[in-house]
Amino acid sequence: MTMGTRGLPIGWRLMAWREWRLLWRSPVLLTLTIIYPLILMLMLMLVFQAGVPQQLPVAVLDQDNSDLSRHLLHAVAATPEVAITDSVHDLRQGRALIQAGAVHGLLYLPQHLERDLLAGQRPEVVFFYDNQWMSAGGIVARGVMQAVTEVTAEMRVASRMAQGESMAHAAMGVQPVQVQASPLFNPALNYVHFLLAALLPAVLQIFIASTTAYALGLDVQTRYRLRVMRRLAGGVWPAMVGKLLPYSVVFLLVLAVADGILFGVMGVPLRGSLMVLLVAAVGFVLASQLIGALVVLLVRNISTALSLVAVLMAPAFGFMGIGFPREGMNLFAQLWGYLIPGTWFMQIRVDQTVRGTPWEVTAWPILGLLVMVTLLAWMVILRLMLWQRPWLQTRTTRRAKSATSAAGEGAATP
Amino acid sequence: MTAVLVVWRDTLWQIFTYRPALMVMVLSLVVYGLLYPQPYLTETLRDIPVALVDQDGSVSSRELTRRLGATEAVQIAGIFPDLVAAEQALFARRVHGVVYIPQGFERDMLRGGATTLALYADASYFLMYQRLSTGVNTVARGLGVEVEMGRLVAQGVAPTNALAEVDPLPLVLVPLFNPQGGYASYLLPAAFVLILQQTLMMGAGLLATRREPSAQRADVTGGNGWRNLLGQALAYVSLYAFLIPLFLQGVPGWYGLPALGSLGMLLWVALPFVLAAAFLGLLIAAWLERGELVQLVLLGIGLPFFFLSGFAWPSDAMPGWIVFLAQWVPSTPAIDALVRVTQMGATMTDVVWQVLQLWGLALFYGVLLVMIQSRRAPDHGVTGEAHPQGE
Repeated sequence: MTMGTRGLPIGWRLMAWREWRLLWRSPVLLTLTIIYPLILMLMLMLVFQAGVPQQLPVAVLDQDNSDLSRHLLHAVAATPEVAITDSVHDLRQGRALIQAGAVHGLLYLPQHLERDLLAGQRPEVVFFYDNQWMSAGGIVARGVMQAVTEVTAEMRVASRMAQGESMAHAAMGVQPVQVQASPLFNPALNYVHFLLAALLPAVLQIFIASTTAYALGLDVQTRYRLRVMRRLAGGVWPAMVGKLLPYSVVFLLVLAVADGILFGVMGVPLRGSLMVLLVAAVGFVLASQLIGALVVLLVRNISTALSLVAVLMAPAFGFMGIGFPREGMNLFAQLWGYLIPGTWFMQIRVDQTVRGTPWEVTAWPILGLLVMVTLLAWMVILRLMLWQRPWLQTRTTRRAKSATSAAGEGAATP
Repeated sequence: MTAVLVVWRDTLWQIFTYRPALMVMVLSLVVYGLLYPQPYLTETLRDIPVALVDQDGSVSSRELTRRLGATEAVQIAGIFPDLVAAEQALFARRVHGVVYIPQGFERDMLRGGATTLALYADASYFLMYQRLSTGVNTVARGLGVEVEMGRLVAQGVAPTNALAEVDPLPLVLVPLFNPQGGYASYLLPAAFVLILQQTLMMGAGLLATRREPSAQRADVTGGNGWRNLLGQALAYVSLYAFLIPLFLQGVPGWYGLPALGSLGMLLWVALPFVLAAAFLGLLIAAWLERGELVQLVLLGIGLPFFFLSGFAWPSDAMPGWIVFLAQWVPSTPAIDALVRVTQMGATMTDVVWQVLQLWGLALFYGVLLVMIQSRRAPDHGVTGEAHPQGE
């Protein structure tokens, strides 16, 4: 349209330069866009640095006190996942320990375990575990199951060998159908590769959308500032590009620092294409920024805009399907997930880092992300174009006047 | 005492009349209550598509395939000619696992030797891997036991003895609490506590940074920080006496999540939690001084707070000093205590330390607030206006 394609080469650069200087001179903006997100991401790295939880506390109730029960306890204690920290005298006491969170499970070896085993009566070993704290509970249950299965297999091999079978034959016969399970893409089941690698961009996404809403809100909350901006840049379109671009650069750098540590220091594999990842990261940052921008342009009030950004972005991590995969979600959740830039970005990231997917296969989510950026950009422009229409201008000017008086110093940037 | 009541009434009035605070503290709970649970409501992963590569093509391999397809976790998405084709489907996410049955599977099994079945399962999503490996292992073990039993019985061993031979020491895994292992039942009770904390802190922060503080409040307290704080605390406690049971028992109950806790226990644990969170929110507001900044700072830290709490990732696996830092956030002891109360039927003795910790945090943040306010009162801000009348 008439607004500003003419002024684009100079206009947006001027605006971007102004914004860039503003950013580096404002401790608030600097903290919110760089320092604070980086601190939080570093903290999360430290939280997950162990990668695989080990030595999770478990209690035992050994009522048999036999060679067998001691052998079992020894085997359980030897698994890396589990540490036997408490020995209790009855089930009630064990349950209380689980309920209070002191241990994640209770291994119960009933009386006459050894005697019943030798008599062929199939005594049961019971493991109670806390499934409310499901991640820890699942890990200890897996560890105990492996230990007990191994002990059982050993015993059966020994008994077959006692009957005169060769060791190799006995070992094979014990488990006729063996499963050789290979965890693809993350053989050590490391939480850093799985959860942390996804969590960092998810945290950043919240910052990108909210600080964009805030920074742009400072300009649109009061009418005259938006006008200044437009004059300066020579149109609304270049004004918007110039306003948002410095932050895009900053957020990409912040993501680069976090990913540098993730892939460089913490050893998350980068099996895919760096180029695809870069394109996806740019799309992700732009889409998140545009969501923040659109929201604040629609409501023209920072506080309300931040509340709306919170509604969209605070629950977003769940919709990205890292903990609970998207394939298992209901239709609404799957569709809602498409509205979140991180959903697309996460799929591309998982594909192009740990999975090493051929890039053509990842083309669809990249396309999705780019379509999202385009649509959002048009919605932002459309919103701004509507503002230029005279009938709307009078209304918004009126509203802006009352907003100016109410907002007071709140809109002033340091 | 009347001064406290006036502040109480005034704060409640402001909560319901100041729109941003009402939006954050009450309306957003409605939205989060509806939106947040959506991804998890199906509770478990069912029918995960799996590619089958059957190089054996025998009766046994077909039987195995049938049994795999019959499990809740697994769905056979197709029979693939080889691993290369299956790998492509895996990359394209059409399947999340590959079961490979090698040639000679049936022959080895019937001969009494071991036969190996390969499972390649997608571990870029842990829940997929866990479900698939549990499902396939269960089927394989079942088949193995039958084969062994069949052979022993054929040799003339009595069935009961044969079973004792094959499976002499069965392990029974008993999940306590959340017995179905549902994901919504696992996550929501904890996440809801965090949502309550973040919205309470934000709302309190927004009210405290409001530009037109109630003149009335300053009049009655005469700039006395204690009475002012007590009145506000009472207001938040009386509001959350309704919101907490609604959000921690009503909403989960509406979604049909299992629950054990009593209302009385819930309120006793929630009381210091509400105080600690409100005071921390007020402290952050006193520090940042602007409502938007309070919102920005709290919005960004919600997700990290959740992972610091030790719920999704055990505290036992975190560095000690991180665990120590996390203790200063009300949600850390509160998630622990409230989930134990609402989901596990914990009693006061089970959560006494967490409750004491919450009281300690409330006291510490409260004292800090009063100190800050009394230092600020004379020169600028909220209570300063009262001085002419107060003296």
